[in-house]
Amino acid sequence: MTALLAASGVSVAFSGIRALNDVTLRVDAGERVGLIGPNGAGKTTLFNCLLGILQPDSGRVMLNGADVGGWPVHRRARAGMGRTFQRVELFSDTTVREHLLIAERIRNGSGALWKDLIGRGRPRPTEIAACDEVLELLGIDGLADQPVESLSLGQSRLVEVGRALMTGPQVLLLDEPSSGLDRDETQALADTLRAVQESRGYAVLLVEHDVSLVADFTERVYVLDSGSLIAEGPTAEVLADPAVRRAYLGSFEVS
Amino acid sequence: MTGSADFFEDLFRGLLQGTPPGAVYALIALGFVLTYKTSGVFNLAFGAQAYISAAMYFKAHTLWGWPKWAALVVSAFVLAPLIGLVLERLIFRHLRTASAVSKLVVAIGLSVALPELFNQAARFTAVAGRQITGIMPDGSSVFYDPFGVYRFNRDELAMMAVALVATLLLAALFRFTMIGLAMRAVVESPRMTEMSGINADRVSAFAWALSSTFAGLAGVLIAPRFNSLVSTDFFTLVVIAVAAAAVGKLVSLPRALLGGLGLGWFIAVFNTFLPRWSGDHTWLRPFQENLTPSLPFVVLFAILVLWRAIGREREASDPLSGVDPPPPALAALERHPKLTLFTRLFGVGFVAVVGSVVWFRAGVLWMHLVTTAVIMAVIYLSVTVITGMAGQISLCQGTFAAIGGFTIFQMADRFNMSVLAAALLGAGVAAAVGAVLSLPVLRLGGVWLAIATLAFAFFFDAVMVKFSWVGGGTTALLTGTRVPRPLIGPIDFASDRAFLVLAVVVLVIVSIIVIQLREGTVGRTLTALRGSEVAAASIGISAARARIIAFAVSAAIAGLGGALLSMHQQNVNYSTNFGPVNALFWLVIVVALGARTVEGAIQAGAAFALFEPLILKGDLLVWILRGEDHLPGLFPLSGSWRLVLFGMMAIQFARHPEGLVEHGKRRSAARINRWLEAREGAAS
Ligand SMILES: Nc1ncnc2c1ncn2[C@@H]1O[C@H](COP(=O)(O)OP(=O)(O)O)[C@@H](O)[C@H]1O
Ligand SMILES: [Mg+2]
Repeated sequence: MTALLAASGVSVAFSGIRALNDVTLRVDAGERVGLIGPNGAGKTTLFNCLLGILQPDSGRVMLNGADVGGWPVHRRARAGMGRTFQRVELFSDTTVREHLLIAERIRNGSGALWKDLIGRGRPRPTEIAACDEVLELLGIDGLADQPVESLSLGQSRLVEVGRALMTGPQVLLLDEPSSGLDRDETQALADTLRAVQESRGYAVLLVEHDVSLVADFTERVYVLDSGSLIAEGPTAEVLADPAVRRAYLGSFEVS
Repeated sequence: MTGSADFFEDLFRGLLQGTPPGAVYALIALGFVLTYKTSGVFNLAFGAQAYISAAMYFKAHTLWGWPKWAALVVSAFVLAPLIGLVLERLIFRHLRTASAVSKLVVAIGLSVALPELFNQAARFTAVAGRQITGIMPDGSSVFYDPFGVYRFNRDELAMMAVALVATLLLAALFRFTMIGLAMRAVVESPRMTEMSGINADRVSAFAWALSSTFAGLAGVLIAPRFNSLVSTDFFTLVVIAVAAAAVGKLVSLPRALLGGLGLGWFIAVFNTFLPRWSGDHTWLRPFQENLTPSLPFVVLFAILVLWRAIGREREASDPLSGVDPPPPALAALERHPKLTLFTRLFGVGFVAVVGSVVWFRAGVLWMHLVTTAVIMAVIYLSVTVITGMAGQISLCQGTFAAIGGFTIFQMADRFNMSVLAAALLGAGVAAAVGAVLSLPVLRLGGVWLAIATLAFAFFFDAVMVKFSWVGGGTTALLTGTRVPRPLIGPIDFASDRAFLVLAVVVLVIVSIIVIQLREGTVGRTLTALRGSEVAAASIGISAARARIIAFAVSAAIAGLGGALLSMHQQNVNYSTNFGPVNALFWLVIVVALGARTVEGAIQAGAAFALFEPLILKGDLLVWILRGEDHLPGLFPLSGSWRLVLFGMMAIQFARHPEGLVEHGKRRSAARINRWLEAREGAAS
């Protein structure tokens, strides 16, 4: 079976310093996969390679069996890759619902200059309904008309997830969704993510260094350290591996 | 054999001849890179600063009769660094965390405001044709000929010597002084600054004083090469400096130095050989005549577009800014329905009153001015699209407008085409040029994109306009670029009233188009891109496609407005209406009054045409006071206060990107909103 998303032999160097070293990874349809590693291990860099924000020096990225190496970011996004950002990236000067509406418009591809000119470019009722459905699913329907500047960090993360969901992703890449959140917020986020994933059935690649969230949410996990994969396999087994624990220098306890 | 000996002699002569101006370009490029590297400001106001020093020098020496050395000290070593310090302290220090693009807008505002501010404050008017003297006694009449091929005059020697000494001093400063070391640390490795406890304020103030001194020196040195002291010539100088600095990707001081010298050499050698080749090959002649003055811009444009490394060199955010978060953006305002009603009613009432006063009472002059205001509002809507909606700074909107004007001139002149059809065609041609131009420059983004459009505007100005199929060539010099007014059936728009109606109709249509775009897919896509480019890409938005559309639409609107303006004046009047420096003022006035909204563009149009007669000349006051006799003695004020005022307002762009007036409106709207809500709360 071809993987939904696969990276093989990906290497990246920043001015001579290896950030990723021959990394190979795969995510199958509907699967929940974790990618963990200490700060600076190269997790975000790998994300950027998968999404085309960064061109790897060598290695390939495949989506549904197609080599997407030469594709720009927006094309990969349309082909089924959604993502969130470690440092929240929202569109200033817009409301929560407008975030989802624009994503929906891009997905359904019905926007065109001439339609705008004859006044047919405004959000349609069906689009608004689709957005409200996702907002409800994420439990932020009460915030729909809020400007995003007024949201808390946790709420902003959910808006990012919602925006990514509107693109109808086959695989959702989440970059440290818990960073900056306290324990309760993290728990609430994890519950929401799990519920939504189960109802929509897309695959998830979750980057985290909060190991308990990874242990809770993922089926399989990859461990990255200084740019190299040091372990992979079922989450519980990998997290019990002494080498993995050493990479974290005892910075977490598996419960 | 003699041929090749001649060739090398000429080459050598060209190189020698190019060295003095090259040294001055290098000087200003060094200063430019220094400010950019230490404060992230792409300081286009350097030309204005150079102008002020040159004008000060002229005033002190020629008008007051001061000795040259004293004039030099005051203009380049006192006034110039002082201006730098003031700018740093009052403006740029507070903009550390602002984006590079908004700092560029601030600098553009300054480059518009500063020269006029100086002229007004110092009561300076340059007298055309007055010999501008260099810094050496008998500078232009005593020659030295060290190699027997080119005679340097004393001023030229002084240029080279000053540039050399300044460079050596800079190098020594970097090497041996604490502040120099700190500055070098900032320039070479911004990351280090955060850790090593460098006093950011001191470094930045010092860098500004130093680089401004370089600008001032360059201004005084280069002034004798211009025929008269006009600030626009000095603006051109800074564009040359940008070209030189771009050679070093704006980061390397030695390369900027080489870039400046290289540009001086290149221009001189080119000027030596091209006339000769075009003597043999006549097809080269139009290029020779047209290309020579625009060489720096062509070089700049070529560097920007062809050199792929430039695009990757994303703009430096301020290395001294540390880790402060950017200032919070203004939250969108939810309006009370009553407030919306009030503002709508007020707007309609205002337009009705002004409209009927103009319609029934205005004489020829006022009819003319109001029509100009309406047409400028159309043109300014093109800035609303590209800057307000797409967040890009385009400095060639004047060129797009000129394309509209020239199209209508050519079509009516040659093919006797219907004027309105030609106007639409002009919009189409402008859109096509905008789209094609956007292909290579969009990759650059941000500040570089703005500079590439500026280079394009200068290139169009120096080369394209001269072609007979664009600007009309030599016949146009004699007869002007005449444009007829349209004639539709029984309506002859030669009547000023009828034409005003036409202009208003076009303004309404274009306003509706802009509003539709803003509410539609295009506008929302651009808002997303403006908010976060990576996030926009991550939901499938193609930045390139969206921005090409924005460029084309904006160019089309500008082209249509330009065509309308040409019809109105019945002449294209290229250099007074559409020259590259004029377009700078367009940007300034629109961002000052509100680049995000249609009202902002309309206000800017009104301000452009009416501010001077109404406010500065005092006509409004005359009307209020009922009679000229009561007008206070200080009227009429000079029209250049317009430049000062709006230039200063544009400085606020970094803090209020929605425009000062728009900001004020939002604030008072919020206040009334609260009041209404409070009243409602009390009632219920
Ligand atoms: N644009 C960049 N330029 C230079 N180095 C970078 C860049 N992005 C990341 N790095 C370096 O690559 C390494 C991996 O970074 P990153 O992928 O962000 O780590 P993680 O997300 O695992 O914390 C780090 O050492 C980081 O400093
Ligand atoms: Mg990371």
